Amino acid sequence: MKKPRIIGIGSPSGDDQAGWLVVDTMKSRLPPEVELIQLDRPGSALIPLLENTSHVILIDAMQGGGQPGDIHHFINDEWENYGQGLSSHGLGVFDALMLAKELDCLPETLDLYGIEIGSALPGDPASEAIISAAEQLAERITQTWQHVLN
Amino acid sequence: MTEQRKSLTLKVPVLTRVEGEGALDLRIVDGNIEELRLRIFEPPRFFEKFLEGRHYSEVPDIVARICGICPVAYQMTAVQALEKLFGVEVSPWVHDMRRVFYCGEWIQSHALHIHLLAAPDFFGCNSAIELARIHPDVVRRGLRLQELGNEIMALFGARSVHPVGLRVGGFHHAPALSQVKILRQKLMDAIPEAEALVRWTSSIPLPADSQPFVSVALKHDSTYAIETGFIAASDGFLVDSQEYDAHFAEYQQPYSTALFSAYHQQPYLVGPLARLNLSQNQLPENIRKLIAETGLVFPNGNVFISMAARAVEILFALQEAARLLGNYAVPDSRHVSVRPRAGIAFGATEAPRGLLWHRYEVDEAGLIKNARIVPPTSQNQARIEEDLRLSLLNFGLNQPDDALRLHCEKVIRNYDPCISCATHFLRVNVERSSS
Repeated sequence: MKKPRIIGIGSPSGDDQAGWLVVDTMKSRLPPEVELIQLDRPGSALIPLLENTSHVILIDAMQGGGQPGDIHHFINDEWENYGQGLSSHGLGVFDALMLAKELDCLPETLDLYGIEIGSALPGDPASEAIISAAEQLAERITQTWQHVLN
Repeated sequence: MTEQRKSLTLKVPVLTRVEGEGALDLRIVDGNIEELRLRIFEPPRFFEKFLEGRHYSEVPDIVARICGICPVAYQMTAVQALEKLFGVEVSPWVHDMRRVFYCGEWIQSHALHIHLLAAPDFFGCNSAIELARIHPDVVRRGLRLQELGNEIMALFGARSVHPVGLRVGGFHHAPALSQVKILRQKLMDAIPEAEALVRWTSSIPLPADSQPFVSVALKHDSTYAIETGFIAASDGFLVDSQEYDAHFAEYQQPYSTALFSAYHQQPYLVGPLARLNLSQNQLPENIRKLIAETGLVFPNGNVFISMAARAVEILFALQEAARLLGNYAVPDSRHVSVRPRAGIAFGATEAPRGLLWHRYEVDEAGLIKNARIVPPTSQNQARIEEDLRLSLLNFGLNQPDDALRLHCEKVIRNYDPCISCATHFLRVNVERSSS
């Protein structure tokens, strides 16, 4: 099995750093050949990053009515049912995934993780709940994919 | 609605598929347009104020933040204005590579607008996702072109969104020859795709809607103006960027957080169609031939043709970038030294959406005393309102509300308004009533 491409989406605003924090944590634990990418509102530029690989792990902040730090896992096309509420980058990421699906560009496996966030004010640090959730999720992904990542 | 209804209020509370937040209010009384307002309500962003007291060297990175789609336009206009004031002469390498950098932004921005924002309107689709269901190959091609534009921007700017490569005096970084060779080959390979895009956009049936208006754009003696040229208008007017203020006046409308702009007291058009209306003869022969083959005619008074104009400019920008990168060599020096000088700096370039004008007052230490930035969307606002009035009368005010709303949105999207830049933007509200 090929190594998955891991993409964390975020921004420097408070809890919205969640996706970036997961990738930051994984950087220190994984061999350098693992593709770890941090993006800020990629829009349609996300689509080429879903291609030429069989497996993509995508991590983004979300507001789905849960508690900050709650982690949700959507496999393959489960995210479609979530509509526009999936991500704080809202239409951007969701539209890009919908467009990729219409264009038959989705990888064989798409693991989408959403971390519930609270406040996302520009310049604020991420809250403790998000730092801890990012650590937990990084550990979970590393453990789950240990056999292919290392 | 019924045919008897002569009065109506149509409100498009949030205009979709435009960059930023705005709305349109339309009030029809006894079959006449009583009120038509393009309301930009995105909060003011105060960039001009942020620049005050900043060192000139910080300006390119600050102005890049004005827009995620056209940061290069803001950076280029700023650095060139400051270089002119400081008496800095950049190397031919810097000149050429800046034009390539700018071509990248045109390709990226135009491909985004055609495929994700404007084209769905002409196929009865609500979004690019729906368009992708009926024309997947067209959308795929559009995304490939957009990505290529992003790659050019990232090559010189380290990243495509808010790039950091430009500085007053030149570039921070020169890409390696090996990287340039790979990218140039991709550009060459994409030229047939861009030609096909010109054919596709020019084959789309458009509403017959020719209107009289003044086109304003940069014009250059020997090239298709992008980063340099005189400010020209279709009535024969031609001035240097420092004369802009004497002929163009910004004014406020209480319903918009973006300033409006008038040329000799009248609305005017900036953008790809304005550029082609003024400079189609500066295009390379193969592109002029393709334009003739496809039946496109410039100058053209039908703003619906803007999508095809963008496709023509994508083709031009690809060819131009490939040409300029043909003899690429890593230079000995990526920039020249700069010594600030007090005075007033003026600059104008052609952002993807049209003329962009900057003015900076600088002190002896190179600190910005005040700044003025006039983006293309503010300049197009009055023309969009004028176009809507004429276009709606042509379309018929007795059309159903939904058809009116869609027509208004289609007209507005021809201009690819970047509300975030202008705020400075679309919701549509139509109100019909009898007196």
